[in-house]
Amino acid sequence: MRRSALALLVAFVLAGTTAALSAAAPAPRFSLPGIPNPGVNMRAPEIGKYGGTYIISQISDPRTFNPIVVQDTASGAVTGAFADGLVEQNYITGEIEPSLAESWSVSPDGRTWTFTLREGIVWSDGQPLTTADVEFTAKAIFTPGVDNSFRNLLTFRGEPVRWRVLDRRRIQFMTPRNQPPVGLFLRFIGFPIVPKHKLEAALNAGGQQFTQSWGINANPRDIVGSGPFILQSYTPGQRVILLRNPRFWKVDRQGQRLPYLTRYVILVVPNTEAARLKFLARETDAYGARPREFAELKALERQHNFTIYDGPETFTREFLVFNQNPNAPISKTKVAWFSDVRFRRALAHAIDQQTIINQVYAGRATPPTSDVSVGNTLYYNRNLRPYPYDLNRAQQLLAEAGYRKGPDGVLRDSQGNVVEFTIVTNAGNQDREAIGNIVRQDFVKLGIRATFTTEAFPSLVSKLTGTYNWEAIIIGFTGGIEPCTARNLWLSSGDLHMWNPNQKQPATAWEAEVDRLFEQCGTEVDQNKRKAILARFQEVVYENLPMLYFPYVKTQPALRNTIGNVKLGLQGVTGELETRYFKGAYRP
Amino acid sequence: MLRYIARRLLHMVPLLFGVTLISFIVIHLSPGDFLAEIRLNPVVDPAVVEEMRRNLGLDQPVYIQYLKWLWAVLHFDFGYSFAYHVPVAWLLGSRLLNTLLLNLGALVLAWLIAIPIGIHAATRQYSWSDNALSMVAYLGISTPTFFSGLLLLYLAFVTGWLPIGGMTSIEYDTLPWYGKVLDVARHMVVPATVLAFGAAAGLMRQMRANLLEVLRQDYVRTARAKGLAERPVTYKHAVRNAINPLITIFGFEIGALLSGSAILENVVGWPGLGQLILESVVRKDLYVVMGALLLGSVTLILGNLIADILLAVADPRIRYD
Repeated sequence: MRRSALALLVAFVLAGTTAALSAAAPAPRFSLPGIPNPGVNMRAPEIGKYGGTYIISQISDPRTFNPIVVQDTASGAVTGAFADGLVEQNYITGEIEPSLAESWSVSPDGRTWTFTLREGIVWSDGQPLTTADVEFTAKAIFTPGVDNSFRNLLTFRGEPVRWRVLDRRRIQFMTPRNQPPVGLFLRFIGFPIVPKHKLEAALNAGGQQFTQSWGINANPRDIVGSGPFILQSYTPGQRVILLRNPRFWKVDRQGQRLPYLTRYVILVVPNTEAARLKFLARETDAYGARPREFAELKALERQHNFTIYDGPETFTREFLVFNQNPNAPISKTKVAWFSDVRFRRALAHAIDQQTIINQVYAGRATPPTSDVSVGNTLYYNRNLRPYPYDLNRAQQLLAEAGYRKGPDGVLRDSQGNVVEFTIVTNAGNQDREAIGNIVRQDFVKLGIRATFTTEAFPSLVSKLTGTYNWEAIIIGFTGGIEPCTARNLWLSSGDLHMWNPNQKQPATAWEAEVDRLFEQCGTEVDQNKRKAILARFQEVVYENLPMLYFPYVKTQPALRNTIGNVKLGLQGVTGELETRYFKGAYRP
Repeated sequence: MLRYIARRLLHMVPLLFGVTLISFIVIHLSPGDFLAEIRLNPVVDPAVVEEMRRNLGLDQPVYIQYLKWLWAVLHFDFGYSFAYHVPVAWLLGSRLLNTLLLNLGALVLAWLIAIPIGIHAATRQYSWSDNALSMVAYLGISTPTFFSGLLLLYLAFVTGWLPIGGMTSIEYDTLPWYGKVLDVARHMVVPATVLAFGAAAGLMRQMRANLLEVLRQDYVRTARAKGLAERPVTYKHAVRNAINPLITIFGFEIGALLSGSAILENVVGWPGLGQLILESVVRKDLYVVMGALLLGSVTLILGNLIADILLAVADPRIRYD
């Protein structure tokens, strides 16, 4: 069983990532009291020392401690520390690795997955963690009224995944006929497991009850977990304190039980300015700096005993999208411009990405190509080249499409209509506001009468997804590692297919192709073929530009020099909580 | 007097009804709802968003939503927060005392400083100390709290004497009671100073102007003419008459006890209502906004009532019956 799991893992590992290979290499065998086969963390570069309080800060309060209903990152930071799933994602490579399940196998038809839990693992209150808990969690996910984002992922073409408990350690998941891809299924099955003995009463009382259980008003003693830390206290508006879980099921490369830290504290601060001051004053140990702060903080490294790292790009994409919806309550002439790919390509050439990179991100960004960020090393298509900033090329493309710039310097279309439109973004986002101003000026250089305004976020979203009364919008999406989970955005029938949503039939050939590619991506098992499918997807988007992308923004994590096991991973993550440790003296 | 108070309290009912109804309608008139953020998640299916909307009761007509809310409020059930999945009463309650503590502290501090200084300035009009104090007062009135808050935070950072924002330190729970008091006091220095500075400046100017006015009155001249010493003239006669308008201000300040520090709280990270309410308004977390509005309206109305009662107590000429 274990051997087959390793074989599977090796199959996922992509060539060239040595870290992933070492993770798949046979790990040394250790045991913990009662746990004959604990997880071994092979990713951490150093063997740590015990003790210390690791303090970070975040801008928002957690909204819930219920790992199933979490939708926001602030809550995720807390639940992620105490709730583990069957499998986990390697933070460096993005690959899926064993977690609570020590191994798994898949039937030859690819539809039945059997997971085997580690023997002897327990919840932080000492109760055994068994397949009954896994089954309970799956049941909760599919209970009406339990607001969660896992149900969506575990439903394949309208059919929910089914499951069957074989014994205390083995559980089977069965997917519907049109089986999802191996890699994707494992990603979806990594939902956090919650304890049946603590939450069963709430679920029996109904989905709403379950959604409200383990809320921020819960008694921390009722919240038990399987992760490296357990919740000790929450003070609204101030902090969350987590304590080392002495029953955690992982060891380091020398067989010592993890985690090393005694306490993990998340301070709630009102804004990034306060987060920065607290970091510099050594009240916290880590700070996710903004691009503009990189140079400034670099100069302060020695004085304040920290290091700021040149991190990779995030998965977030910021973009400008034009309304091509024939049913939108805006002028048909404008829809006609926006629907013309030559018009969009011309505008892509007119955007001065380097100025955006320099002025908005102080150089800490990379020119964009398509819908997958260069930070997503698993799927980014390296063959695409960013649209160069070239006003002559832009003018040439516009001329080919029948646009003429008059002696008054104003651009008109072939019918003589003045080309004018309004770009909107959400108020309060400084980066987007700065980008909007730069882009507006760029378009004005072409003779376009572009205006730029801001609007409250909820109002912007209601236009984008409800009334469709908009011309051009600057907004951004955070992305997961798997681009083809964004079905609602890319399928032509999608509700969030912003430029022309809810199409009965794909309006264009390229949208039909994207539909096909997403269908293939959803059923393709072979990882290399999936890479090829997604590379083609990026190419189609690059050529047809339903959205004009803005630079991929880099991360610049700053960390106190006393912190050990620092190794940058995807999206600038600096390491794992379970192997964090203090090299020298530490706070008690 | 009691009849008057009862009548005023009765007036609250239609007033609060009107306030909540108008607020409810205005919130619904502005486009977008709480689910805006999740609608923009490309992974989430629209059917899921629809289900959430139903679960939150947002699919029903506005008047039904309002009546349901009103009915629940009459039973002291203020609804659930969409974002936090906890009762609104708990959410507001978890922050209420913090805001109250900060504002009361600042209020006491401001009055303790402003009244004596105001008297001092009025009795020594146009002296160098009066001029200097006036300068400081103008500075206090014209500096927005977020700015002075940031300034003091930076000072705390540079000197390392005071914590940078927040209300308690990490070790708070393990401290003995006097340690807890000291810990909170240390954290309160910056925000309470900022609030008190702004409030004291206005109060002091008010006190000075009132007292100057009273000191010019005939009965003060009479008192002086019959040979009364300057101290009793000022403190026994003039100050008592000059303080009436300040009592009205005091009433307003009671009304603002829960809202006066909203902006500052967001700057210095004081875990009060301000942060919570601002966030809920931006997110359109409907019942939190409504709960906060109700709370704010009630305190404002009660503050005014208290001011009127205090006025009657302080001035025998004022009677309501």
